[in-house]
Amino acid sequence: MSQETYVWLAILGVTLATFLARSTVLLVGERLRLPPVVESALRYAPACALAGIIASDLLMTPAGLNLTLSNPRWLAGLAAAAIFAAFRSTIGAIFGGIAVFWLFRAWFGG
Amino acid sequence: MTPRAAFRRGMRELLPFTPGVFAWGLVTGVAMAKSGLTVAQSLGMTFLAYAGSAQLAALPLMAAFAPLWLVTLTAVIVNLRFVVYAMVLRRHLAQLSLNTRLWLGYLTGDVMFVRYSTLLEQEPDYPQRVAYFAGGATCNWIIWQVASVIGILAAGAIPAQWGLGLAGTLALIALVVPLCRDRAALAGVLVSGAVAVLAHDLPLRLGLLLGIVVGCSFAIALERRAATGETAR
Repeated sequence: MSQETYVWLAILGVTLATFLARSTVLLVGERLRLPPVVESALRYAPACALAGIIASDLLMTPAGLNLTLSNPRWLAGLAAAAIFAAFRSTIGAIFGGIAVFWLFRAWFGG
Repeated sequence: MTPRAAFRRGMRELLPFTPGVFAWGLVTGVAMAKSGLTVAQSLGMTFLAYAGSAQLAALPLMAAFAPLWLVTLTAVIVNLRFVVYAMVLRRHLAQLSLNTRLWLGYLTGDVMFVRYSTLLEQEPDYPQRVAYFAGGATCNWIIWQVASVIGILAAGAIPAQWGLGLAGTLALIALVVPLCRDRAALAGVLVSGAVAVLAHDLPLRLGLLLGIVVGCSFAIALERRAATGETAR
């Protein structure tokens, strides 16, 4: 198999994988019955999914868990959460967080 | 309300997340170009798969000529959170035509999914919810693809030390804060985050999935306990 063919097949593989994950349940639709407790637990799924993505992205560095001031990413996240809680502004949270990130990184000479 | 108005509202409510979605699309585009994919292959991948984290997970495997089944399986597992999303969405979309469901499935992304479930909580009787979802998801798709194409074409000009990916994560924070509206939700968020960090060394982002399962279980247990406590009083 040439490299060109391999790459295209791999791209189709990722496409198929994404389709299976995103659409199978939608296509099965109402035929899928879940226990009521699972249905109500799913209400917390969005928040829990986001929390997992956010926490591992902000706290984990290539050297492992870093909750000190030398890791500006979680400080930026904290600032973004505070800004959003105070002003309900998404744009403010994003740019405020980025500003805090740059500030701390400059401070620690990173 | 007309579907068109709801579609526009969906688009409008996604717009504040533009910096985050854009930065992520850009990072993914740059990563594809820098991993040795040609421009045509990168464009093919972003338009066919449209799955940032799965694309990023597949790239190093593809660079190493890993078996195709492994690339595909990795992408399935990285995408498992979409299965959870689809479980939430399926009740609302079940009655739609096959074609529409396929399109909406393709367009489902993290940001619009959470916006949509927030709408369901705040306005449970909102009539044109599918049009609302479609509007926001389309808007997300456009922003992402524009950014991704720029990233593919301008990969050499975008230095990694800008920390662009951070903007995407900060956008998610703006999404999660309003969801922490009671003790059960807040506890679920903290538990899920902690589990994801502790299980970070698990392969294929399985720690994330574990976090969702443990976080949701914890939240629902707290909710039930609070409910029985109230009836006892």
